[in-house]
Amino acid sequence: MKLVIDESRCKGCNLCVLVCPYTIFQEGTKPNRRGIVVPVLDRPERCTNCRLQALYGRTLCGVCQMICPDQAIHWKEEEPYEAHRVEVEY
Amino acid sequence: MTSARDWLRTDRLPHIYCTGCGNGTVINCTLAAISGMGWERDETVFVSGIGCSSRAPGYIQTDSLHTTHGRALAFATGVKLAKPDLNVVVFTGDGDLAAIGGNHFIHACRRNVDMTVVCMNNQIYGMTGGQGSPTTPMGAQSTTTPYGSAEAAFDLAELAVAAGANYVARWTAYHVKELTKAIATGLQTPGLSFIEVMTQCPTNYGRRNKQRRVSDMIEHMRTHALLIEKKRRLESEGTPIPEGMFTVGELVRRARPAMGVRR
Ligand SMILES: Cc1ncc(C[n+]2csc(CCOP(=O)(O)OP(=O)(O)O)c2C)c(N)n1
Ligand code: SF4
Ligand code: SF4
Ligand SMILES: [Mg+2]
Repeated sequence: MKLVIDESRCKGCNLCVLVCPYTIFQEGTKPNRRGIVVPVLDRPERCTNCRLQALYGRTLCGVCQMICPDQAIHWKEEEPYEAHRVEVEY
Repeated sequence: MTSARDWLRTDRLPHIYCTGCGNGTVINCTLAAISGMGWERDETVFVSGIGCSSRAPGYIQTDSLHTTHGRALAFATGVKLAKPDLNVVVFTGDGDLAAIGGNHFIHACRRNVDMTVVCMNNQIYGMTGGQGSPTTPMGAQSTTTPYGSAEAAFDLAELAVAAGANYVARWTAYHVKELTKAIATGLQTPGLSFIEVMTQCPTNYGRRNKQRRVSDMIEHMRTHALLIEKKRRLESEGTPIPEGMFTVGELVRRARPAMGVRR
């Protein structure tokens, strides 16, 4: 699963930034084509729902999606063999 | 089982609400609770009055009634009594419900009509540009209270308890999980269920009341929400409750005789 913000719906309120327990959402800096500063995702692969939704068969955490007043946050199936950024933590 | 997204009328999105307005969050929580009920879309009707909050049914894929200002509960009562098999959910605002619609509110609670009423209380008339409503707090600025409101505000949830609703709860647009649970309980309870949601209106309330940023409004709701159990404990201890706090949680759940319950 992969976390995505729908740029055609987001109005840039930053409520997601306020609630994500992993601080995955960070305030954006550049306005998009619609003039809206959409938050950017910091290592979204840390999201519990991305990792465990399939295993548990239900939405885990999901507070960003619940609070987003513009229904702009969802999870999407990844394409097979999608490139991933790998980070080694030590 | 449907998911909350299946109930959204996606061709109408993005909606008209301002950036950071809490009304969209209340729609999410209500639809999440409804999708857990196993209801069919064509057995469910949304009814609303007039206001930003009352535009919510327009973003949901069921039949709905967007009625005249203040009259949502009167129309909803009619729907429920004519067709008790329908599930009736009302979206309303503080102005719609408690000002022009105040009489319908108390009498719908008294009759205990089987429906769920979700009130987005942003403490202001949002749609018309920020006039004071019956829930504008004492001292708050609005276009009609330029020196600060000199009147005491209604406590809508307590009013619903006194008037006889079977289930009454209050949460905020910040407490999304608790709110969803409360709405789900309301949907399951026969009789009138009233869920008041303290909601941020950054455009017409926050901007005039030193809560210019959406995060200021959320912070205010987070820090001024007092669990009802805690309030009762403080009262029994005789500890004074700090100024400006409002209670959240389940105020009442009971089984008074109800009207329009499915046979
Ligand atoms: C009979 C009538 N009187 C007045 C109005 C103007 N009016 C439209 S919305 C509104 C206030 C709505 O306030 P509220 O219910 O709190 O909704 P909000 O916009 O804050 O969500 C008023 C007075 C109207 N539409 N109809
Ligand atoms: S909560 Fe939704 S609308 Fe607000 S910034 Fe995040 S994605 Fe955008
Ligand atoms: S005026 Fe207030 S209640 Fe209406 S959409 Fe804007 S923020 Fe929401
Ligand atoms: Mg209002």
